[in-house]
Amino acid sequence: MMNEEMEQFEQRLSRQPLKGIPAEWRGEILSAAWEGRRVAVPEIGDANMASLPKLRDWLLAILWPHPRAWAGLAVVWILILTVDFSVRDTSQTVAGKSSPPSPQVITELRQQQRLLAELIGSRETHDADRTKPFVPQPRSEQRFEILTT
Amino acid sequence: MRRGPEIERLYDEHSQSLYAFLLNFTRDESDTRDLLQEIFVKIARDPDLLTGVRDERAFLIRLAHNTAIDTMRRRGTRDKTRENFAAETISPFAPATDLDEQTFRDALADVLAELPPEQRAVVHFKLWEGLTFEEIAATLDIPLNTAASRYRYGLDKLRECLRPLYEEMKKAE
Repeated sequence: MMNEEMEQFEQRLSRQPLKGIPAEWRGEILSAAWEGRRVAVPEIGDANMASLPKLRDWLLAILWPHPRAWAGLAVVWILILTVDFSVRDTSQTVAGKSSPPSPQVITELRQQQRLLAELIGSRETHDADRTKPFVPQPRSEQRFEILTT
Repeated sequence: MRRGPEIERLYDEHSQSLYAFLLNFTRDESDTRDLLQEIFVKIARDPDLLTGVRDERAFLIRLAHNTAIDTMRRRGTRDKTRENFAAETISPFAPATDLDEQTFRDALADVLAELPPEQRAVVHFKLWEGLTFEEIAATLDIPLNTAASRYRYGLDKLRECLRPLYEEMKKAE
């Protein structure tokens, strides 16, 4: 009698209908599953690509204990590189910005060069007339001088 | 590319069962969704997971149970409080049109939530999955006697708490 009553109670409980799964979950869960699969096992038949999950697990194992510390270190490195690149760029731009000299400056420079050349040339002629002071030289050089004259 | 329809088939055939169990076990709709997604991501990532499996349903239920247990273990005290709060509000049963029936379902949901998770799991598998004690023992990886005793304790608690309501409904019928 007791068992019969218990069985009836069990049957009553088992007849209680359970909630249905929301229909919109199907698309969401299946697309998430496919997304997860794409991340884990690439469809390209490359042997090297198949080792990506292992690499990811390895990286996670290394980075996981202190993710904030690693993130901070990464940020510091990014800052250093950014500063480095920006400094390099400005020096290049400064060099690039210096404009070529104007034609007036060039002509003036040429005139000065010509004048200097004339001056040097006249001085050289004066020097040729003038007797050279005696400067002791090695014998070999003295001989070469005699030969050239 | 045989795997796509395979996962879809698994979802269509077993997701309702997994959903009902996970909802009864966690008493939280968003947790149930997360766990269900985690299970299907696991299957998608390792397509050979079900290779050579005879009973897909039992395998998936076991996977769902283990995933739920792992998630519960990972949680701290804060989440346990949240779980207890959720246990008072979420019912795993469909709403009823009859008021008495609805009252009974609500009461059943409340008493089920008070059962320890291990008893709740066995009661769920026996009553709503129709598994035998052997199947439950194999699914949960526990001895047969443990499965039977957990069910007995759980059912006794349900009967004790629901007796007045149950007797009243029987008389009305």
